[in-house]
Amino acid sequence: MLKSRRNEMLVAAVLVAPFVFIYGWMFVYPTLQMVQLSFTNAPLIGPGKWIGLDNYKRLFGDRVFGTAVWNTTYFVLLTVIPGTAVALGIALMVSRLNGWFQSLILSAFFLPFVLPITVVYLIWDWLLNLQFGIAQYIIGPIMGKPMNVWRTIPWFMPGVAIITIWWTNGFSILLFLAGLRNIPKELYEAAALDGATRWQVFTRITWPLIWPVTVLCLTIQLILQLKIFDQVYLFSLGGRTAATMVMVQYIFEQAFQKNSGGYAATVAVALFVIVIAFSVFQYQVLRIRGAR
Amino acid sequence: MTAMADTSLTSVERKRSRPLNIGAILLGALTVICAAIWFFPVFWALSTSLKTDDEAVRRGIGLLPEAPTLDGYLYVIRNSDLPFWYLNSTITSVAVTVIAVFMAACAGYAISQLRFPGRTLLWWTILASFMVPVQALIVNHFIIMASVKLLNTHLGIILPMLITPVTVIVYKQFFDSLPREFREAAVMDGANEFQLLFRVFLPMNWGITTALAIITFIGAWNSFLWPFLAAQNEKMMTVTVGITAVQDTFGVAYARLMAGAVLAGLPVALAYIIFQRRVTQAITLSAGIKG
Amino acid sequence: MPHVELKNVTKRYGNVEVINGLSLAVEEGSFTALLGPSGCGKSTLLRMIAGLEEITQGQCFIAGTEVTDVPPAQRGAAMVFQNYALYPHLTVRQNIAFSLSIAGASREVQNKRVGEVARMLRLDELLDRRPAQLSGGQRQRVAIGRALVREPKVFLFDEPLSNLDAMLRVQMRLELAKLHQSLKTTMIYVTHDQVEAMTLADRIVVLDKGIISQVGTPLELYNKPANKFVAAFIGSPAMNFFKAEIAGRDGEAYSLNLPGGRTAKIVSRGGTVPAAASVDVGVRPEHLKLGPAGAANSHFDGKVSIVEQLGNSTLLYVDTPAGQLIVEGEGNLKIAVGDTVGLSLDPAASHLFGTDEKVI
Repeated sequence: MLKSRRNEMLVAAVLVAPFVFIYGWMFVYPTLQMVQLSFTNAPLIGPGKWIGLDNYKRLFGDRVFGTAVWNTTYFVLLTVIPGTAVALGIALMVSRLNGWFQSLILSAFFLPFVLPITVVYLIWDWLLNLQFGIAQYIIGPIMGKPMNVWRTIPWFMPGVAIITIWWTNGFSILLFLAGLRNIPKELYEAAALDGATRWQVFTRITWPLIWPVTVLCLTIQLILQLKIFDQVYLFSLGGRTAATMVMVQYIFEQAFQKNSGGYAATVAVALFVIVIAFSVFQYQVLRIRGAR
Repeated sequence: MTAMADTSLTSVERKRSRPLNIGAILLGALTVICAAIWFFPVFWALSTSLKTDDEAVRRGIGLLPEAPTLDGYLYVIRNSDLPFWYLNSTITSVAVTVIAVFMAACAGYAISQLRFPGRTLLWWTILASFMVPVQALIVNHFIIMASVKLLNTHLGIILPMLITPVTVIVYKQFFDSLPREFREAAVMDGANEFQLLFRVFLPMNWGITTALAIITFIGAWNSFLWPFLAAQNEKMMTVTVGITAVQDTFGVAYARLMAGAVLAGLPVALAYIIFQRRVTQAITLSAGIKG
Repeated sequence: MPHVELKNVTKRYGNVEVINGLSLAVEEGSFTALLGPSGCGKSTLLRMIAGLEEITQGQCFIAGTEVTDVPPAQRGAAMVFQNYALYPHLTVRQNIAFSLSIAGASREVQNKRVGEVARMLRLDELLDRRPAQLSGGQRQRVAIGRALVREPKVFLFDEPLSNLDAMLRVQMRLELAKLHQSLKTTMIYVTHDQVEAMTLADRIVVLDKGIISQVGTPLELYNKPANKFVAAFIGSPAMNFFKAEIAGRDGEAYSLNLPGGRTAKIVSRGGTVPAAASVDVGVRPEHLKLGPAGAANSHFDGKVSIVEQLGNSTLLYVDTPAGQLIVEGEGNLKIAVGDTVGLSLDPAASHLFGTDEKVI
């Protein structure tokens, strides 16, 4: 039996080897290096001096970092709850349909999710084009005159948030649909026999039973949107980026535009800590859900 | 009495027994309108891409092009590096898909079915990488790739994108869910671990592998931040990065710009339309919901 | 020489001992059933013979060769699983040929062997279907075919019929019996269903909590149970038990003071018990004779509380001083609930069990 145990280990070693190699090189090593780098004043490429906690001290006094944290938080607030609510609404509507018609309508809602962000950016930049954009036919009458959404700071984040909801909502819609499908039909039939109205059915059956999926969507979105970069970067191209800065963008700017790898790593560590904190929270929530 | 009987029907039964229910029709119409609004930006991009550049900037709302033309597409293909980008995107996305899925299947199998030292540690590393923001590692990925001279190469673009922990997690859970008799029957039939994985477990449900492959492909094709950093050379860019990088070279030519956008999104949109069910499956699996 | 032999095997999961120092020998060509309630260790025993469970201590031999540390596929044993475990992505042909294909057999050899097996099991028409397109009985036959194609020295069956409905189970039972008659290969069959064991096996091993309770032919177990566990486990409806006191001995026979004050003489199997000891008396429902209440030769009077008409027989649940006794009578018995009847024991077919539950 000893021989077969050793054989099992050998097989396991062969099977996990590529994975361990890639994860070691592309995940574990960079993570450790990032922490180490955050204590130095290294440029992007090249050696730096150990400067202890200086980068972290600087981080707490950094106004732009503060803006980035605030903008990221603001963006999360603008997308997570409204996006999940919209997704639930759409899922409730779509779940009433059947067959090919349902998959057609669902495709219309889901398709944006599979598009690359740059395509989303090009499409919406064209829609909202100051001179020729078709959306200006709506914005014009409301605001009194056509508006360049991306150069109007108060509208920047809400604008990106709306587009993000449009882009990523398909994911939550699918989860809600799966959740709605998992609610046993008998419950609705029993409620109907008890004479429940449509609203009562929703508040007494659908909502409590779909709540776990709602929590799941909220936490997935929360962690996803904390890592916002692409949209904000693309829409702010050529604008005053300092005002609309988000956290990943600040890492990018410090490393690749200001050539300070050490400080960029410090910002990255901060993002790391924040996301892990939320992820642990999510993990706990999911575990509670799983335990029930 | 009839009214009471009516409210006591479920929505399913109501649809069957009274097909002409006003509320249901209104809701249906609302759904269609919402879907149309939601889809409009994509439609508008398609429509614009088939117009001439003059028609695209004309006043007024022309929903459909007057004389559909492929000029925008031809211009983009001839006057940009788009063919190169397509090639780069295809190479990197296919490579990421094949390597990541293969790696995940092997690792997921080992973690699920075999006992070996370090198994728990490996599993925790995977869960950790699932929680961690990979975007935060861009600086170090860049430093590593620069040090091994892989910037502006396909391999350099591919390597950091291979971190797809969800794939391993889904595979492990799938292998966990299989009745142990399959394994035992194959062992009795003389299969070794590799034959078990590649001739029994994986073929038993190609659906999962297909689903994971498609979602990985879409993800790889769509990634922006890392390819954007790793490929500075225009000839090495992926489509996703390329179409915005050269925005200015097209000038105020929105039909061309939209043609570029459509071309960039086409492969993933097609992948979704063809494999709709698999994409849905992959998403519900990765979120841990039984669909 | 036994064909399959376990010597002093022990199985432990951590500190939990499932099987303790068990020895068992199975003759070549026999059909042996491992019978016992769930959790008695019968499946573990079978899986140890197959090589799917490690043997913590002891040895296992198949056809004279020690196989304790031999990988499952090389032991010459084939197994049929409870849920069949057919590979869902392969056709019937590929399922049956899988082991040959793993062993690297040529296409011609595979087709030839699959053809032979398919003919024997009447699967010819189904070879290109997938398991999902088959009925339960057909799946079962494919699972047997998969085992058959390997030409094993011993067949192992792990509750192969328990997923089938009652009708099919009877039918498959006959097919298995026929298969054994024509192949004459050693078969070891795990089941918790005593009817299956009684009808199929030529030898039954009754297991209880990881130890062998009794080994014997079906009729030996039925007529001469070695202990109270076997007596209670085999036979349906189950054997009646009640307490009685030894009054005296007359050769092999003991006279007993029965509950309710009467006495009976019961033939023992040669065991001895001290006088005045309390024993368990076991008697099968068909060995209790009905008579009028208060008759001179009856041992108990009782009131009928339930009547079950089965057509070919009638089951009466009779409340007596010895507790409720089940009596099997003729099919057209004219007895109603509430009637009082007299019951007499068949002295030659009653069993005595001591305080250690062993037969006396």
